[in-house]
Amino acid sequence: MAPRFLRLLSRSAGSTPVRQAMALVAVFAVVNLVTLGLAYVSLRNAAGQVMQANLAQLMAGFEVAASPAAAEVMVMAAADAADPAHRVFAYIAPDGRVTGNADARLSPDGVEIRPMPEGRPLGRDGYMPLIRPMAGGVLIIGESLTPIRELGRTFLGLLALGLGPTVLISLGLGAMLAARARARVERIESALARLSEGALDTRIAAESGRADDLARIGARINRMAEAQEAATEALKQVSADIAHDLKTPLQRMTVLLHDLRDGLADGSREAGLADRALSEAEGAVAVFQGLLRIAQIEGGGARRAFGPVELNALAAGMAELYGPAAEDSGHPLTLELSPAPVTVAGDRDLLGQALANLIENALRHTPEGTAITLRTGIEDGRPMLEVADRGAGIPEGEREKVLRRLYRLERSRTTPGHGLGLSLVAATARLHGAGLALLDNAPGLRVRIAFPPG
Amino acid sequence: MEPPMKLLLVEDDATTAAYVAKGLREEGHVVDHLSDGREALVQAMAGGYDVLIVDRMLPGLDGLSLVRALRSAKVTAPAIFLTAMGGVDDRIEGLRAGGDDYLVKPFAFGELSARIDVLGRRAAQPVVETVLKAGDLVMDLIARKVTRAGREIDLLPREFALLEHLLRRKGRVQTRTMLLESVWDLSFDPQTNVVETHISRLRAKVDKPFGRDLIRTVRGAGYRIED
Repeated sequence: MAPRFLRLLSRSAGSTPVRQAMALVAVFAVVNLVTLGLAYVSLRNAAGQVMQANLAQLMAGFEVAASPAAAEVMVMAAADAADPAHRVFAYIAPDGRVTGNADARLSPDGVEIRPMPEGRPLGRDGYMPLIRPMAGGVLIIGESLTPIRELGRTFLGLLALGLGPTVLISLGLGAMLAARARARVERIESALARLSEGALDTRIAAESGRADDLARIGARINRMAEAQEAATEALKQVSADIAHDLKTPLQRMTVLLHDLRDGLADGSREAGLADRALSEAEGAVAVFQGLLRIAQIEGGGARRAFGPVELNALAAGMAELYGPAAEDSGHPLTLELSPAPVTVAGDRDLLGQALANLIENALRHTPEGTAITLRTGIEDGRPMLEVADRGAGIPEGEREKVLRRLYRLERSRTTPGHGLGLSLVAATARLHGAGLALLDNAPGLRVRIAFPPG
Repeated sequence: MEPPMKLLLVEDDATTAAYVAKGLREEGHVVDHLSDGREALVQAMAGGYDVLIVDRMLPGLDGLSLVRALRSAKVTAPAIFLTAMGGVDDRIEGLRAGGDDYLVKPFAFGELSARIDVLGRRAAQPVVETVLKAGDLVMDLIARKVTRAGREIDLLPREFALLEHLLRRKGRVQTRTMLLESVWDLSFDPQTNVVETHISRLRAKVDKPFGRDLIRTVRGAGYRIED
């Protein structure tokens, strides 16, 4: 029970309710301490005064003694009747002899009281002494301090009784509240995590009968998620509408061009024109398809298709697919794979397409004879995928810009492609929480996708 | 020539529908065309179709719901979706709804025709074959050996897979995208002529030394292997 309680407490030490409970306990303790302390001091002073008055009164009874012998008789009588544990009487005669129920010696600081040899024991807490010269000697009456000490002990007891349970109860309640609040905060946190991963239908379950701040935050988040879902849905609808409205005429155009082409003899000028028109239509579709895909990836919906993807196999597959084409265009394609498998959580199709886009970029934008290397590995715990070439590279100032949609370097205006390849790579990297870096391969370009540490 | 199929085309764009129907009829198929999703549901339930060609955006009842309804009514005829969308999720959504294939608009007729052909003959395919033949080319699937005119041909694993895919569908056109999907398991279209170069490598080994081409190019569509 106790270790569990401590564990709970230490785990919840960072949570607001426990900190608040602890602060309240501290304030309560200070207030308790101060009031009890003040009461103790005033009670002790009062008790001290009562004792002093008693001593003065007792002392007054001995004033009548005229000689040391009389004083000794009177002191003996009083001493016999008193328990030295409570009250001591000691008369030091002018010749130094001590009479009474305790031995007393005058010292520079006052008086030293010790038990009489063979006498009864003294109290443990010391005495409040009153010292008076009397009949040539000195009379010392001491009142035991035990009642005052008892008073102190009583107050300490009161303090412990009052504070202990309060502290324990407050901490316990605080920990309980913290555990409850933490469970609710965790629910909110995990819902937010799912939302940010693109699961927009995530909602925080309403807790019946609760209307506190956490419940209000939950309701707020739900409203936000609803709005986000509606916006995404609307975007999807708009994309679908645009896709439909734009692709239907494109489809018709393609249909008509195919019809036209079928009626033309191969090799004629008209056939060539029809073929060119068809490939232009295909280009328009490719741009459109690319934009649509990027928009969808950025919408985050694709994360639902995540599974383990082994980068060595992915790179080897792409190298195999592009090998002959790369060879034909004079780009030796080599693989530098990590000796151990490199597995990331991701969308195999999107990662494959991203890698294909990088390879195609390298094939397209570097001159014949330029080597291309596909590389996988783990660096600082981060799985990474690289496509490096030995071409002209991208000037440093342009590297950011090439990630923009439809941006093309001045010198690549004349090469095929629609300027969406790298944007799609960038969107895919973002979807995977991976960093995309365009590095100098001295010479050439090295594009690196660094995945979050597995 | 293989026997004609009975096809149901559900497409609300008249130009596309007329073009598709005309092309399929020219290939000898029987084509019924409807442009409303609800009418198509009734018609398809009546049954008897070999393949359903369904546009995803339809008046009355959308394509996904149409196929889903048909599947729950135990109509098992294979369905191919035509869609204007071609996003990441769309394909998966279509296949989940009970579709068997998926074609993004705009498409060439050859692509659609080749895919319908595959879907329609799927059920009729011979069960297990251990030897595939085309003309004097023999592929032994157990020994993983290919010979032509008695001479052994050394193929890379992917070349073997590509040839096997074509041989299994002898006489039927396989488009670039179909080959990418089934031989390479890729669902995107590379902008580089990767399939063409693989085919030309394969041809250099399988056709060139023998003087007669078994792998034919079908203009505007894809490739086909013939006896």
